[in-house]
Amino acid sequence: MPARLRSLHALRLASVIGSICVAVTARAAELPSFDEQVQPLLEKYCIRCHGPDEQKGKLRLDELSRSFDRFATAKWRQAVDRVEFNQMPPKGKPRPSAEERQLLASWVDGESQRAELARRAKDGRVVVRRLNRIEYQNTIRDLLGIQVNLIDQLPEDGSANGFDNAAAALHTSSFLMERYLDAAETALDLAISNRLKPPPMIKQHEGLKDPRQGKREDVYRIQDETVICFCSSPWHSVSPRLNPQEAGYYRFRVSASAVQSAGKPVTFRVTQGRTRLTGKSGVVGYFDAPPGEPRVFEFVQYLEKQTSISLLPYGIPSSREVIAIGADKYEGPGLAIQWIEAEGPLNDVWPPESHRRLFGDMKQKPAPAYNASTRVEVDSDQPLVDAERILRDFTRRAFRRTVSDADVAPFVTVVKDKLAADYSFEFAMRAALKGVLMSPEFLFLHEKPGKLDDFALASRLSYFLWSNPPDDELLQLAAGGKLGTPAELRRQVERMLSDPKAANLTENFVGQWLGLREIDATEPSIRLYPEFDHPLKVSMIREAELFFDEVLKHNLSVANFVASDFSMLNGRLARHYGIPGVDGWEFQKVKLPPESHRGGVLTMAAVLKVTANGTTTSPVVRGNWVLDRLLGAPTPPPPSDVPAIDPDIRGATTIREQLAKHRADAACAICHTKIDPPGFALESFDCIGGWRDRYRVTGNGKAVVIDGRRMQYSEGKAVDPSDVVEDGRPFKNVDEFKQLLLTDKDRLARALAAKLTTYATGAAPAPLDRVALDAMVANIRDKNYGLRSLIHEVVQSNLFRDK
Amino acid sequence: MTTPTMNRRTFLKAAGVTVALPLLESFAPLTRAASAQAPRRMIAICNALGPCPDYFFPEKAGRDYELTPYLEVFKDFRDSFTLFSGVSHPGVNGAHLAEASFLTAAPAPASPGFRNSISLDQYAVEKLKPSTRFPYLALATSSAGSTISLSYTQAGVKIPPHESPKALFTKMFVNSSPEETQREASRLKDGHSVLDTVLVQARRLQGQVSAADRERLDQYFTSVREVEQGLVRAEEWTKQPKPQVSVPPFEDIRNKEDFHARLELLLRLAVLALQTDSTRLITVKIDLTGEYHNRSHHGLNPDNLARLREIETKELMILRDFVAELQKSKESEGTLLDRSMVLFGSNLGNANMHTTNNLPVLLFGGGFKHGHHLAFDRKNNTPLCQLYVTMLQRLGIETDKFGSGTGTIKGLEMVS
Repeated sequence: MPARLRSLHALRLASVIGSICVAVTARAAELPSFDEQVQPLLEKYCIRCHGPDEQKGKLRLDELSRSFDRFATAKWRQAVDRVEFNQMPPKGKPRPSAEERQLLASWVDGESQRAELARRAKDGRVVVRRLNRIEYQNTIRDLLGIQVNLIDQLPEDGSANGFDNAAAALHTSSFLMERYLDAAETALDLAISNRLKPPPMIKQHEGLKDPRQGKREDVYRIQDETVICFCSSPWHSVSPRLNPQEAGYYRFRVSASAVQSAGKPVTFRVTQGRTRLTGKSGVVGYFDAPPGEPRVFEFVQYLEKQTSISLLPYGIPSSREVIAIGADKYEGPGLAIQWIEAEGPLNDVWPPESHRRLFGDMKQKPAPAYNASTRVEVDSDQPLVDAERILRDFTRRAFRRTVSDADVAPFVTVVKDKLAADYSFEFAMRAALKGVLMSPEFLFLHEKPGKLDDFALASRLSYFLWSNPPDDELLQLAAGGKLGTPAELRRQVERMLSDPKAANLTENFVGQWLGLREIDATEPSIRLYPEFDHPLKVSMIREAELFFDEVLKHNLSVANFVASDFSMLNGRLARHYGIPGVDGWEFQKVKLPPESHRGGVLTMAAVLKVTANGTTTSPVVRGNWVLDRLLGAPTPPPPSDVPAIDPDIRGATTIREQLAKHRADAACAICHTKIDPPGFALESFDCIGGWRDRYRVTGNGKAVVIDGRRMQYSEGKAVDPSDVVEDGRPFKNVDEFKQLLLTDKDRLARALAAKLTTYATGAAPAPLDRVALDAMVANIRDKNYGLRSLIHEVVQSNLFRDK
Repeated sequence: MTTPTMNRRTFLKAAGVTVALPLLESFAPLTRAASAQAPRRMIAICNALGPCPDYFFPEKAGRDYELTPYLEVFKDFRDSFTLFSGVSHPGVNGAHLAEASFLTAAPAPASPGFRNSISLDQYAVEKLKPSTRFPYLALATSSAGSTISLSYTQAGVKIPPHESPKALFTKMFVNSSPEETQREASRLKDGHSVLDTVLVQARRLQGQVSAADRERLDQYFTSVREVEQGLVRAEEWTKQPKPQVSVPPFEDIRNKEDFHARLELLLRLAVLALQTDSTRLITVKIDLTGEYHNRSHHGLNPDNLARLREIETKELMILRDFVAELQKSKESEGTLLDRSMVLFGSNLGNANMHTTNNLPVLLFGGGFKHGHHLAFDRKNNTPLCQLYVTMLQRLGIETDKFGSGTGTIKGLEMVS
């Protein structure tokens, strides 16, 4: 890299670091005077090159606006950061003293903060926020009382600062509006029933059909009605004879047991027909069939029409082994399925609850259509009266606040117009309801600058903790103006965190904070990681989610996210981690042996997998992950003119050796002395989060044999997980590294507080909000840094309570 | 702008018959009579993983460049394309995220506050306001791991690509029953009244909100109006019979990993769309898929490199066949390719390293003097947008700026 470029790189890095370091301390009251103090300094050091005569770097300071709008702020910030780091004025020119530099910096900090505060007073901190597609789907489901997948109909949302509920990134486009139109139609079609009687219920109890039909491989043993399956090869999964003509919820009961399994359970998975099996979707569940007496497993599953479920034993050999011997003589473990019972679609009431929620018990009249001679439609004797009543209630729930006549009137007008155009009552109503679902009042969370009113607060709270609209209790409290007291907020947060809907917080917050949603982004190389399978992938995600839930439930210290003496494991994951004594699919809280190197999110397989690609790990990616997600200090991306490292898995060099060159360069070292140490500590873990002392390589190396089988990879060079953290303290391995992180719990808590605030409000805190974050941390310090306490602090803070 | 489509459409309506492919030839005299010349078109294809540069770029510049393993695929088309090296988008980094900026050139796509800008195809849509049944088509091979689009609106909003060739084929070529058409028409009318109502609401809201929020509501407003205009267009088109093609209806390819088959299918659809003048602007994104992605991180391992070469050669052959198909289709006095620019490139210069400079770029057809390797400085790249400006001018748009481009690209001459 040419010297000029290198120094530019250094400048850019320094400017970012500079703004992190110095941004927060200035007080508006002590602001230096521009005319008396700042102006003379600019004249003395800057204007000659950045003024009327010359504008080096296209920068002209004497005309740069002192309004401190966002653009000018960025320019001023850049200028003083360069001065702060002695990069300006350039070598050979007179430089300002330390006091003079400090004065410039405090002026810029103070002015930009003052401007930011003025902007907030006028516009609020968070711009009006559109529901993202997850929130939209949940809201529609809650409002109409239906189970529907709308996410796949909607375009993916933008995200900012790591979350897809960031107000600034949630734009609107005509494509989105078109999809909303379609989605509203889908939802209303599902909610409103046009049948007089519920669809006929399927109820069956029987054994599996003989699964051998059409398959040549001999992997099943059939005894009476019982089918025993002896292999885990996916093409031998078995399905009940079921061909539902109606989509809906079906209750399944499966009787199963383990045979020839040496007294151990055999795990099996149930998948849903016609869905893709990823880390998060397609699978109904994994279950443990016990040895001996069969156990009955019951679950309710939503099925699309003409789909079914499939069952497959997990963790027993592939078909090859059983074929060689023959299923009848085979002595290995198998899964016996005695019978499967299916019942559905389940409808407790008719018309269904979703229909009643809109139309109550209103009468229905025949309205036959092509291919549907028994079709009925809702009818009304006093259509406009009924329309007004229904729409008033619907808009109230859809707008998440009390509504006025003026709010309801436009939608009643739609009904009136449609009736005049000879629409039936029901179709006129559908058009109006669709209008409500397209309304900006429904699609956006409306907040007015200043302190949020109770309705806005209710919505902010419920979309934070539930990703769902506020329920009746919240809305009633808001209507009575009683939600906003600290005590009531505290009570509501406790209630909401104990509600099953709080699973959405885990799913959406943790899913993004820890990057779990990226689990399917790369597929580990089969050659290097033959042990990677779907159950492991699912178990990884569950571990991280259950761990968060456990910390939240018992208000444990946020320091557990760095190091903990327990984790949530099942048999598959425990085997992956080399921790004995955990069997079967069910997750349990496991006390970790000290030599396990596990505990905390850093060393969880899920995190290690999403920070790797399918073949190599990069200390830079992982190090940056630690800085961003756990320490709240992300580093900027490298400039595009720096050559990247050419990853090499042949085994001749390690990534550490390649990076060494990088760190020897002073400009690179500015960031890499921060980034690399956590990354090196995590080098002890491979692409799928398994422990390694040596790298797996595809080139020459020592042969690896497991269970008598020669692996397709070889043993490469040894891993060196030691390094020195930025402040000079050395560590030998990941365990020691974690202990170094634990010495600054305030920092960990502050970083998490910032992430939670970002997610909770839809906008990341600014440098000036450091004070507010510090206050949250101070308040939980003597509560053992409890996570639940931290969530309370976020909700009670002004960052949350003001727009 | 003249609208040859209208003439074709009117013809179809008047004739009331279905016409089998190839359409264009039979229409050519009519089209020419109407507008003197066949329309200009653009297809932009972005491969999420740059073809391995060692197998792609030749050493020599100019007309006598040597055929590299990948260019070997195109050896019979040497005079039909130009190869570019030393081009990239200044300030666009962020590894895979740079996909989003391939046609927009918006810098720093990985930064937290990133906002995209208008893409090349959408810029053309805004300027040309096409009257074809589909103003543009955004297509993608799509995979689980990636959902980035190539097409973005003026506000930087992503236009989700079509993922089902089957659905698109139906929309494009299969006439619905009168009943369905009727239902569709009344659905569109319903959409109208719904949107009218919410516009009233939005207007009421605008008076009550802060300046920053008002900007957002304006975006909502504009979106709703655009949908309305779209509904009007759609209503118009429901009255016109769809062009008929003599190929069996398309079926989707279920296997998301099989991007080769998916790409081939999309490009076959693109050929039909162009032949029937259903659209003139197409973007095609080749998404990341598991094995290809893993192999692209070849780590210099010879097995990986060999397999990568196979995968990419096959991909380039599909591209070649697409170009050949356009060249076989006659229109006016030439071929469809003569008036169709086919841009192929990647957002990554070297996928193993995730670099975003020295992008591989090919431009086929469209009426240029081809056959060159235009080699720009590998150290100090030329903005790829210079080429985009040239392409926009070729489409008949008067501009000398787009993205980071401030003029046309040097060395690429237009011919008729």
